Amino acid sequence: MGWYNKRLAKSIWVFHMSASPCNNCDIEILDLLTPKYDIERLGIKLVGSVRHADVILLSGVINQKVAPRVKKIYEQAAKPCFVVGVGTCPSGGCCFNDSYNIVEKREDVIPIDMYIPGCPPKPEAMIEGVAKLIGVLNG
Amino acid sequence: MDKKEKFLQKFESKIEKIIDKHERLYFNVKNEDFLEVVNHLINDLGCRLSTATGMETYHHVEVLYHFSHDESGQYFCPRVIMPDKNNPTMNSITQLVIGAEWIEREIHDFWGVNFIGHPRLEPLMIGDHPKGAERKNQFRFKRVEHE
Amino acid sequence: MNKNVIPVGPFHPLLEEAEYFTLTVDGETVVDIELDIGWMHRGHEFISEQKTFTQSIFLVERICGICSTSHPLALVHAIEDVDNIEIPERAAYIRTLIGELERIHSHLLWLGLAGHFIGYDTVWMWAWKYREPVLEMFEVISGNRNHYGMMRVGGVSKDVEPAKISELAKNLDMIQTKLEMIAKAVNDDPVLKSRLKGVGVLTKQAAIDFCAVGPTSRASGIPADVRKTDPKDAYGMVDFKVIVLQNGDVYDKLVLRVLETFESIKIVKQCLDKLAENNSPILNDIKEIKPGEGIGRYEAPRGEVFHYVRTDGTNRPIRHKVRAPSYVNIPTFQASCKGIPIADALITLAAVDPCYCCTERSLKFIDINHDPLKYDLLKISREKTESFRRQINGL
Repeated sequence: MGWYNKRLAKSIWVFHMSASPCNNCDIEILDLLTPKYDIERLGIKLVGSVRHADVILLSGVINQKVAPRVKKIYEQAAKPCFVVGVGTCPSGGCCFNDSYNIVEKREDVIPIDMYIPGCPPKPEAMIEGVAKLIGVLNG
Repeated sequence: MDKKEKFLQKFESKIEKIIDKHERLYFNVKNEDFLEVVNHLINDLGCRLSTATGMETYHHVEVLYHFSHDESGQYFCPRVIMPDKNNPTMNSITQLVIGAEWIEREIHDFWGVNFIGHPRLEPLMIGDHPKGAERKNQFRFKRVEHE
Repeated sequence: MNKNVIPVGPFHPLLEEAEYFTLTVDGETVVDIELDIGWMHRGHEFISEQKTFTQSIFLVERICGICSTSHPLALVHAIEDVDNIEIPERAAYIRTLIGELERIHSHLLWLGLAGHFIGYDTVWMWAWKYREPVLEMFEVISGNRNHYGMMRVGGVSKDVEPAKISELAKNLDMIQTKLEMIAKAVNDDPVLKSRLKGVGVLTKQAAIDFCAVGPTSRASGIPADVRKTDPKDAYGMVDFKVIVLQNGDVYDKLVLRVLETFESIKIVKQCLDKLAENNSPILNDIKEIKPGEGIGRYEAPRGEVFHYVRTDGTNRPIRHKVRAPSYVNIPTFQASCKGIPIADALITLAAVDPCYCCTERSLKFIDINHDPLKYDLLKISREKTESFRRQINGL
């Protein structure tokens, strides 16, 4: 796997999956593509199909209705595929822990490898997070 | 202001428990007279349906509609009370306002209110997810105990 | 009749939120549209009943990341409506300032996304580039790029420091000149005009029937604006126009949003001037909320946000109802999408600036007769723009 991961780290293709978020992390992820942050210069590209993706950016607390779809999409991804939880929602549930409609354990639905906390995380924090992931992949 | 007084005069016998405070008018209306009142609000006064609020209290289930009169900033809020908590039933206003379709479906989904005359009374938000519906019900009963 | 059903969603590669549409098409024409919502449902109304009013403000802020001032503002209006609570003048100006800055960033965000949907990525990059200074202004004022946490019952939580006002005004002038450039470029573009004029028309009658609000109804000739009809905060004290256009097509919605952005800049400038000379406190101390009912509303970038609060004298609401503008705007697809070519469907769906997080997408097309790859909505939409561009440039 180490050999493969090193090749993966050169150019990460990410798929963005929103599992009942508040839209803010999603906008900030799109913001990364625009001229100020321009994450494409680091070889990171947002792709439309999960089958092309190396990394899934997951945002939001996963609710009961979207959970089976999230699971299905993760199963469709070519492995190895790393899941990065963006924002406080995937890591701590934000203020939605009392809700009746969210899944009890997000880890049962999709295994999350890395968390970027913040509500929403600043684009700089997301770039730092992705850079750390590249560091881990390089060994 | 003028419109409000005319409205109050016209429906003097049909509305009760009027709460009038700074441009918001809340009143109770019986299910039989409800469509007539809404028809007057929509077609004669030119109000817009903002939304409706479903609510469950210890004694009854109630639905509170919010009609906004955009020219004057006045709110008309007719409230329909259903004492039968197990099978709350009331008239649907979808024949008068198409925009009421989603909100009535949502109230049906959450509070179990049956709207007579609604074109498709299917759950809107949680609907066919049995686990979600089960947990939603637990939540509902917990709330009642609070009060 | 050969009718095909095209399911769109719930995970669409393009839009940020999970949503599920079913388009029924006859050849190239959309005949029917069905929506399935609930993918974003997190039960805000129920969580809110367990939280205190101050905690609720943080919760409703997280209903939607784009309108993260509109919901708290409508909620504090509702709580203040229960007991007729007054706010200091300076707090009113700060609330209006934050609300209008949010309108600028939200309209720029929509302009960019609309450009992206029809294959104009230049518009996207430009609009989002000049949206950044607005977010920086937010960072200067509140300390966060989004989710500001500024609203409180009886005022605002943070003050705009007088030393920062000149810097903010300078930043605003820069945004205005850049916006004028973008507006000119968008207005003069013959491709954009021919691509969007007459597309996805929402008639005035349909807008009334579906109870549409905000830019969606104002582009169809309904002059409804909560800021004018029910002025709260500083809206009664500042000078601005309500933009109303008549055609109801996507082009009018675009022009309306651009014009509204300039009005917002005007309001923000007036607020900054007033804040420089006014030195009142920013927060009234509220000891208790009386039992009763209250309705609060605010004109969000997408339309009227509605909050209803019922209290029983404790520090928690018995019932808290939230109605986001997209909740009434999204059903208008049933009126505007029928009978249009499938290439225009995507931009028509985007034209109301739908926010599903407020209301509560893998693009996978199943077509029994055709190759599934042929039906990529984004691709179809972009190809149409390209063909117009070729025609106009004489290629």
